[in-house]
Amino acid sequence: MTRRDDLPTEIQISEAELTVMTRELDDIHNDSMSQVRENMAGVADRIASVTRTVANRRTFLLGGAAVVGGAALAACGGSSSGGTKSSSGGTTGGGSSPYMGDLKVVALAAALENLAVAGYGLVLKSAGKGKYGKVPPAIAQFATTVQKQHSDHAASWNSVLSNAGVPKVTGTPLTIAAPSVKALQDAKSLPAVASVALGLENAAAETYVFAAANVTDPGGIANAATIAPVEAMHAAILSFVLGKYPVPNSDIGISNAVQPSALTA
Amino acid sequence: MSNSIDDRALLALVEESDDLHADAMRDGREQLGDYVEAAKEARFEQSRAIGAGAIVAGAAGAAVLGSALPAFASGNQDIAILQTAASIENLAVATYGVALTLPFIGGSSANAVVKTFVMKTKAQHEDHAAGFNAAVKNLGGKEQNNPDPKYLKYVNSQKPHLTDAGKVTALAIALEDVAAQTYTKNVTLVSTSDLRQTFASVAGVEAQHKAILLAVQALIAGGAPQLIALPPNLAKLPKAAGSVGFPDTFYPIKSASPASEGAVK
Repeated sequence: MTRRDDLPTEIQISEAELTVMTRELDDIHNDSMSQVRENMAGVADRIASVTRTVANRRTFLLGGAAVVGGAALAACGGSSSGGTKSSSGGTTGGGSSPYMGDLKVVALAAALENLAVAGYGLVLKSAGKGKYGKVPPAIAQFATTVQKQHSDHAASWNSVLSNAGVPKVTGTPLTIAAPSVKALQDAKSLPAVASVALGLENAAAETYVFAAANVTDPGGIANAATIAPVEAMHAAILSFVLGKYPVPNSDIGISNAVQPSALTA
Repeated sequence: MSNSIDDRALLALVEESDDLHADAMRDGREQLGDYVEAAKEARFEQSRAIGAGAIVAGAAGAAVLGSALPAFASGNQDIAILQTAASIENLAVATYGVALTLPFIGGSSANAVVKTFVMKTKAQHEDHAAGFNAAVKNLGGKEQNNPDPKYLKYVNSQKPHLTDAGKVTALAIALEDVAAQTYTKNVTLVSTSDLRQTFASVAGVEAQHKAILLAVQALIAGGAPQLIALPPNLAKLPKAAGSVGFPDTFYPIKSASPASEGAVK
């Protein structure tokens, strides 16, 4: 049996070849983004229309859902209390929310994506300062690419909010934001960081599975359905990096989904 | 490929994963059970509305439910969608089964991680097929025990060319992608919330299979199969390996199979 320490130090893989593959992926990405933008424009129109008759909407999204954000909180090692400031500077939470019904789930999704963007940004910044020692190129590439994808997800959800006439979610108005950031700040090694990220990615995937089932707008359902697998893929690669079996379950549950009541905006 | 993993550690990971899997399958069965109940309820409500004028209250419910079953089974799109999903799973099971007969996938020269992945992924597809067929049967439809006819032809055309792990991986990626795209699209087509959740959930798992296979494919193509290990040697992974596993920001649906593709005629 060959141990890892016995492996050759030279990488036989062609960096140029993989870089070409990555460029091709970027092209695919740009194609998919144009489709999503078209889709989201329709979503906003429909949701804006429906939001005017909120009384007819299913109300479970307003806090009655039975799911909890257990995994995210557990991964972050903190409590679920407290809010966070949005990028516009206002402390969120309390008072009446501009986000009702499906739009509350859309806002939750945007906030979750923003949290992911901020989290990976924090990690990249810390890595640049040498907090984790020498960072393997593949890990830096992972964090950079995933951050970009989460940013695009956030933009897609925010376009819905904007077109529906409600404020974009530019910050992280979530009860899980502060403990998540603290967990990342407390992480002193790459495996520790990856564990926190894995918790967030799993929670995001489960949240989108939940959203696909419970959002009523067809375009919103489609958007959640197309993002959920991507978050699940992030999680699989993170599990692989951590040495965990990368696809442990036959299905993705919702018991660790972040509930709409976690939104403090 | 040489084994670059401690077999006992891998066994422990798989056992741990199997425990998670058993829990997840219970959840999955509950989801499908919920779906079946919801679909039956929807069918009853629909039939009651159609025949309200001619039905006497009281015994009417059971009578309508019973008489509506055959018509529903033959005409309901949900059943066709579930049968097509089962056919895709059946093909995946058969294909991974063939792969395991190859010495470089399931034999003595196989990479232990790849072999374990193929075995477990095959089992997960068996679970998916059983789940979809259970739902079909409970809705009064015929179980689909045959493979998807369109992609069976493709698999058969590729079999003579499966001469190394890279080619098997490429075939598996194609099948996983079709499954993930089909289920992602199905989320937008099915009639109940529970079935949307089921397809969103399973789509994520197929996408995770694809993510790992893409990473494996890149390492094989780059001449670095020894880096396929749990945990991988992060320092030696090429930069692009950090992003090759999740090429799409939004999971595509262009190649989704139509509902009728694997429906029982």
